[in-house]
Amino acid sequence: MLDLDDEQRHLLRRLIGEVRELITSGASDDVKMRRLFPPAYTDDEELDTEYQRLMRDELVASRLSSISMVDEFLAATDGRAMSAVEVEAFASSLNAVRLILGTLLGVADDADEPEGPDFALYQYLSWLVDSAINALMTR
Amino acid sequence: MGIECVTLVAAAPSTIEKPDVRDDQTVAPDNPWVVLVWNDPINLMSYVTYVLQKLFGYSLQKATELMLDVHHKGKAVVSSGTREKAEMDVFRLHEHGLWATMQKDGATGDGSTGSGSTR
Repeated sequence: MLDLDDEQRHLLRRLIGEVRELITSGASDDVKMRRLFPPAYTDDEELDTEYQRLMRDELVASRLSSISMVDEFLAATDGRAMSAVEVEAFASSLNAVRLILGTLLGVADDADEPEGPDFALYQYLSWLVDSAINALMTR
Repeated sequence: MGIECVTLVAAAPSTIEKPDVRDDQTVAPDNPWVVLVWNDPINLMSYVTYVLQKLFGYSLQKATELMLDVHHKGKAVVSSGTREKAEMDVFRLHEHGLWATMQKDGATGDGSTGSGSTR
């Protein structure tokens, strides 16, 4: 599955690199960051602050680890197939790109689909994530 | 794996469903926290179903039901337990980009909290 050519690999590496930059930038009060790190408690600000304090670094570390794994695979030129763990990391990392892009594009359930190259990119990423999940579920 | 689950459940629903329902009902009083996944327009249905199966060990049918609840009703209870367990479940859902929150079971302002866990 997922036979990616050089141009696709380059594009995907750039996109996950942007996620890496964002989540290591220290920004927190930002619509993109809020989508990647949503509140755990919506009715108790104190508990949520505590959750964010305890878990944020771990969440960032977990995302960085997935991104590194995917980046390494995309940079490799040996033509090997992705392992199951890599496919999972691939799905979740590209999904993170989709979360950010979809938020910026204002993707909504009942709205007209946005147009333009950014939405085409979003749809391409959706297709890749869906393909990865299908591969995992039919293993 | 997915196709097998569907076939099994269709052939003998009672043997698959019963433990699940009983479990939910008996643990409820001792497990005051529930974990909710909220509908969002970005996460794909296939992705949400896969994450629920992977994190909680649900069958394809159960995970699909929960995903459809999220999609159609706006949210679903995906797990329950102590505050520590609920927090860890929320963390793992956040790791995968799902919009998850936790609250005390039966908290006001959320009519479907109880029903979601007993489907």
